Amino acid sequence: MLTENIMTFLSNAASEARAELPDPDSSLFQSGVLDSFTLVDFVTLLESECNIKIDDADLRPENFDSIAKVEAFINRVRANA
Amino acid sequence: MSCFLTGFGAALPGRIVTNQELAPLLGVTPEWIAANSGIRERRYVEADQATSDLAVSAVRDALADAHTSAGEVDYLIACTLSPDYQVPGIAPIVQNKLEGCRGVPCIDIRAGCAGILYGLQLAQGLIESHAARTVACFGAEAQSKGLDLNPRSAEISMLFGDGAGAVIVSNKNTRANRDYSVKLDDVLIETDGQFAADLIVRAPGTANGPSWLTETHLESALNYGSMRGRNVILQAVRKLTDAAECILLRNGLTIDQVDLVIPHQANANLLTALGRKLGVSNDKVVINVDRLGNTSGASAFLALSQAHSEERIRRGNRLLILAFGAGFTWGAALCQAI
Repeated sequence: MLTENIMTFLSNAASEARAELPDPDSSLFQSGVLDSFTLVDFVTLLESECNIKIDDADLRPENFDSIAKVEAFINRVRANA
Repeated sequence: MSCFLTGFGAALPGRIVTNQELAPLLGVTPEWIAANSGIRERRYVEADQATSDLAVSAVRDALADAHTSAGEVDYLIACTLSPDYQVPGIAPIVQNKLEGCRGVPCIDIRAGCAGILYGLQLAQGLIESHAARTVACFGAEAQSKGLDLNPRSAEISMLFGDGAGAVIVSNKNTRANRDYSVKLDDVLIETDGQFAADLIVRAPGTANGPSWLTETHLESALNYGSMRGRNVILQAVRKLTDAAECILLRNGLTIDQVDLVIPHQANANLLTALGRKLGVSNDKVVINVDRLGNTSGASAFLALSQAHSEERIRRGNRLLILAFGAGFTWGAALCQAI
């Protein structure tokens, strides 16, 4: 589960983009919630909220394309830590 | 041995291409271009203008600013992704047009938009090893001649503009009795080839089968740039932030002690994101992407020349140059106005 702060970020991004927060398996990019620039802030927030450091090689947009993918990615990073 | 930047030059083509002119070709609105890039207009060369023409103007401008003649230049370093020809490089052509420095070594650096940092580090090394005393280092681009002005390429073709910038690097502080000199203190450069395909022009190229350019390559638009924009921005902000922090740390400085940040002008939104990550206010960042677009290898040279001509550099200032480009290549340079 993503933290309240992360979900609030996504909700605010959806509001600013005048989009609906999609279901967990749908694309945050295609729905308009995340774009290239909100993605930068989103990744920064994930690192601080989840207390993780994302390697450059893992810094790929596809890892952040849906809520489910973000959750899976964070679990994977934590498991490999 | 110390290394000084003693002259700064710039050259821009006269033709201004606004978002209003470009947007219909790309199938987007002028507002979309502005919102996604911060660019309002850019410059394009005329049909009979080559990259070397811009480069020569910029180098002459820098030589005049340095009170240095072409005959005193003993090394020429070119940074470009849009040379006049595939072979030879652009540096020999610029040398020939410049006149006065025939015979001096000339090389092209293909480090994308980070070329300025690779050029400055090489110039510093040449000067410190006594292989050269005065190096003319320039970035020049006529990317407009290679843009795919069609909706399929809107995201990348909206960005680029043409221009050239130059800097004279010297072993002597020849501006000592003038406004200021810029001392080059440190350069940090890095490359990570795992991202090579994220920002690429594939053709002509020897990885494309039996011939480096065929009709099939043209039909597949391999001769145009392609970019995974989200990945470029994610990596650029991360790597530029890390490079800035690293070069400051190894010089015993903090970002608060930097007076002016001179970044490669990739995209205004990227610069905003970078400023936020670094904790730098907008008034400390030199910006021209709104009126020049992304001029690739010329971009940070132009920003440096702009900072000089607009008198934003004062004696005692610390300058941080940041650049990121295809490869990926990136890094930072730390200078001090003395």
